[in-house]
Amino acid sequence: MAKAESEYKLFQGCTIGNRIPFIEVSSRKVFDKLGIKTSEGPFACCPDPVGFNAVDHTSWLAMAARNLTIAEQEGKDIVSLCNGCFQTLKAVNHELKHNEHEKEKINDILKTVKREFKGSISVKHFVEVLYDVGIDKIKEHVKNDFSGLKVACHTGCHYNRPSEIMQTDDPMKPKKLRELVAAVGATPVDYEEEMLCCGAGVGNAEEAPSMQVLANKFNSALDAGAEIFVVVCPACFQQMDTNQKKAGEQSNNEFKIPILYLTELFALAFGENPDDLGLKFHRSRLTSFLEKFGFK
Amino acid sequence: MVKVDYEFRKKIMDAHIIDTLKYCYQCNRCTDVCPIATIAPNRYNPRSLILNSFLGLKSAIFENEDNFFIWGCTVCDTCDEVCPQKIELTEVFTVLKNMSIAEGKGPEYYTTQATAIYESGKAIPSQPAIERRREQMSLPQIEPPNVEEVQKILNQTKLNTIINK
Ligand code: SF4
Ligand code: SF4
Repeated sequence: MAKAESEYKLFQGCTIGNRIPFIEVSSRKVFDKLGIKTSEGPFACCPDPVGFNAVDHTSWLAMAARNLTIAEQEGKDIVSLCNGCFQTLKAVNHELKHNEHEKEKINDILKTVKREFKGSISVKHFVEVLYDVGIDKIKEHVKNDFSGLKVACHTGCHYNRPSEIMQTDDPMKPKKLRELVAAVGATPVDYEEEMLCCGAGVGNAEEAPSMQVLANKFNSALDAGAEIFVVVCPACFQQMDTNQKKAGEQSNNEFKIPILYLTELFALAFGENPDDLGLKFHRSRLTSFLEKFGFK
Repeated sequence: MVKVDYEFRKKIMDAHIIDTLKYCYQCNRCTDVCPIATIAPNRYNPRSLILNSFLGLKSAIFENEDNFFIWGCTVCDTCDEVCPQKIELTEVFTVLKNMSIAEGKGPEYYTTQATAIYESGKAIPSQPAIERRREQMSLPQIEPPNVEEVQKILNQTKLNTIINK
């Protein structure tokens, strides 16, 4: 297990790095505060476990293995800011470590670029890394308490499934995100559809069912009294933050729900200024939520 | 007449290394929990996909006019989690999707994304506007991947022919 002092290779992924980099801002600030060290690497796409794996499984394995060898060269574990990258890298690492035949096949491919997968590092989700810092230590940094805030936690599917490989948390009743949200004073609500997918995956094929799944998710959380969603995956974030109007039209609702990344909630709790976090780039307005808690 | 496609059946069995597929007893748990089968029961059904795959009934899967029959899966991995027989359904579905793509029947999104990865190394290539925004927010530059290496790997796996590059 990586120690708090050791350094991770940061894997922000294509979506955060090249589309919504403000998520990376809050992540880095929170990591700094908690003494989690990271460094960069010339990583390619993880690649996408929903998209690219569906196109060609072997290409998906080989590309992921290549990324893993970059971290292996430095002997450092990877911390992912994204569920998708996390699932790909962790699942491929696991597959190649446990399947000699598959490993040989992939290493044969990697030979053309003079690389070799060894299976010498681990891959972590940032939620695990924050959780391992310790709830008490996190509490010490809280300057703005979110008492009274009712939160719908959404871990997203690839955070902890398939559980036999991922081993991040309980597969159908994850607790780490809930405890982390509670650490800054907020209250995670129980809602019927907590484990329901955000619907982004099916959206690659067709929009209407994707919006229906999202609307069901939103309605269930609102019924339970949730004021905001807290998410830990950029694909879920984008699906929830940018599609509220469409999901509303699909289901005769009007959704206006703030969607926060866990690291944004933490950064605000640790005393960061909303402007420095790029919160203005959210599509779903945060104004009333921020005002309620005294941020300007 | 229903025709068993043995070549197809072998592909499915090969991919499913642990060979548990034959233990599916059609209990329907997978379909009960599937969020897509719930909202579109006539268009998507993981239980019947598993049955047809195991039986080698390729035509029942691929000659369905509605490709949502394969591509409706939102890859939430819930079915894998609840299957009492520990069948890794989504691994089977990956084989089906790969075959659908190879036959040129997949949704456009997938080949577009694969092309971006082939050409730039990233599903979402870097853009000047985002690079500027990163700089304004004091984020470090993203180290570019070695695209030549990426392409060598993907030529080796023949992705270039799958996406016609
Ligand atoms: S849950 Fe498993 S055993 Fe039951 S029908 Fe689905 S695949 Fe078959
Ligand atoms: S992974 Fe696909 S088939 Fe399985 S429950 Fe989720 S949407 Fe349904």
